Amino acid sequence: MKTIAKVTALALGLVCGHGASAQDKPEKITIGYLNLVNAQLVTKNLGLVAEEIPDVEIEYIKVGGGGDMLRAIAAGQVDFGGLGNPPTAIGLTRGLPIKGILVLNMLGYVEAMAVRTSAGIESLADLKGKRVAAPFGSTTHYLLLKALAEEGIDPATMEILDLPPSDIAVAWVRGDIDAAWFWEPNLNKAVQNGGEIMVHSGEMAERGYPTWDIGVVMEEFAETYPDLVTSFIKAECAGIDFWLENPEKTAEIIAEELSLSVEDATRMMNGTEMVPCDEQLTAEYLGSPGEIGEFADTLVSTAEFLVEQDRLPKLLTREEFAAKIDPSYVAGVVGE
Amino acid sequence: MTVDAVTQPIARVGALAKALRPHLRVPRFLGQRSFLLSSATVVALFLAWVLVTSTGLANELFLPGPAAVWNAFVKAAISGYQGSTLLEHVAASLYRILVAFALACVVGIPLGVLMGVSRDANALLTPLIEFYRPLPPLGLYTLLVMWLGIGDESKLALLFLAALPGLIITTIQAVRTIDPIYVRAARSLGASHRQILFGVYLPAAGPTILAGMRISLGFTYTVLVAAEIVAATAGIGWMIWDAAKFLLSDVVIMGLIVLGLTGVALDAVMRLVGRLLMPWTLRGRQ
Repeated sequence: MKTIAKVTALALGLVCGHGASAQDKPEKITIGYLNLVNAQLVTKNLGLVAEEIPDVEIEYIKVGGGGDMLRAIAAGQVDFGGLGNPPTAIGLTRGLPIKGILVLNMLGYVEAMAVRTSAGIESLADLKGKRVAAPFGSTTHYLLLKALAEEGIDPATMEILDLPPSDIAVAWVRGDIDAAWFWEPNLNKAVQNGGEIMVHSGEMAERGYPTWDIGVVMEEFAETYPDLVTSFIKAECAGIDFWLENPEKTAEIIAEELSLSVEDATRMMNGTEMVPCDEQLTAEYLGSPGEIGEFADTLVSTAEFLVEQDRLPKLLTREEFAAKIDPSYVAGVVGE
Repeated sequence: MTVDAVTQPIARVGALAKALRPHLRVPRFLGQRSFLLSSATVVALFLAWVLVTSTGLANELFLPGPAAVWNAFVKAAISGYQGSTLLEHVAASLYRILVAFALACVVGIPLGVLMGVSRDANALLTPLIEFYRPLPPLGLYTLLVMWLGIGDESKLALLFLAALPGLIITTIQAVRTIDPIYVRAARSLGASHRQILFGVYLPAAGPTILAGMRISLGFTYTVLVAAEIVAATAGIGWMIWDAAKFLLSDVVIMGLIVLGLTGVALDAVMRLVGRLLMPWTLRGRQ
């Protein structure tokens, strides 16, 4: 009982004495970032968020993939996170309290389908009877099935296997699989071991199936600290600008952050498109407040795919997805 | 609340069941105190689950209610999960577990007997087993995939490696703790090596080996999900892993319950076989 009284007194003291400042700033901001190449690594490496928000501890947590990020968000372990379009559609449909506030990156040839040259695969139709790998639930799994559907090929005519990217590389080198849609740096191992790129995600974007990663914020955090969200976006926009203006330095930073060679980092950078913050407000991306852009359409298309796959229980409408995309923070930063 | 508060009503139900037995042909185990206590645990857990989920204390995303899990079960059983029915998932996993476990028994138990009897064999093999035993099976898995590929071979190997050390170590222990008087007595009566092995060592060590087998089967289960992450298209472990990626908690919990029940059933079978093969283990218990 004594301890409880003490804690209560302390809490009361905090609220009364420093009420205002305790409301304005949290003790710590936790940023979950994905293990992939985008300007968030630059922002982190240069400490840009800490520059914008000087008196709050900033903690970065590296998250392996979309599934892990969803779990981290569901458990409330991060304030900011990043998600590809499939996990975003999953999270929003399952009612996770997040909203998308920033384009982290558009996926180009950093994600691609490699086919074994000796297997004589020249078109998607040649995949019939072959073993094809993709990490299920990822952007590339989505694109593989969309590409097959577009050409009217039944996925059941081939063996589609669920493998994590590192195991795809191993299976490829062993000769267990003949095609795989996955991403760098492991993608390069397939190309160097008798593989060639048949189609990459940038081409699919041109055909109307863009894939991307979006920066998300926990709704409660955004309501409590709207100014901090704006500061966060300001830092991320500065990181994107740095990427666009200093490609060589950026490659060094990425090589350091992800323990890659500078050569690998450069290749991955070139296969990833960064969108300057002012462009993010156009209809092709987030759109503007009140007129949400094509990101909402991609979410609908992704959710349709997941519902067909029986992996989502219901299909949200475009309006429902659009309500969870909030370009106002980027608009605030760009408008300054 | 004292233990009596729980056990007394249970004892009363037990007495009632006993009293009714001559009239109703109630199966005998239903009246046993241990069965009723076990049932009480299961019922209490289930009620807690119902209570927590129906009052909205738990987020449905993390802990769906029994009805949702039941629906997931019915759906998977009838129309299947991702191309295979629940029965096919269970069959794929049980096949992997049983084949790997049987191989581990065939290799592990004789090795354990050998190491328990012969100091030299023990010295030769100990470094190998002691080194790999604490290694997490997942750490080995990448190597196994490199060596054996993405088919069933690498999955079986991972499950086999998880089962093996427990079997070897309990078998060594079982052989070493045999009272040497048994062996000396058999020898003085002129028993051959073969007779001593099958007439003394195995019967005396049997119960401990069986305990080791039960524990090892548990270890095999612990790596099932890990084994089925790579390129499986069927299996309860894969179903759980796949559903977790899509936040389908109802399927995850359903899969865990089904997996747990198969484990309980396999354990019961092993105990039954033990009782049939080694009736002397019952001596002194009843």
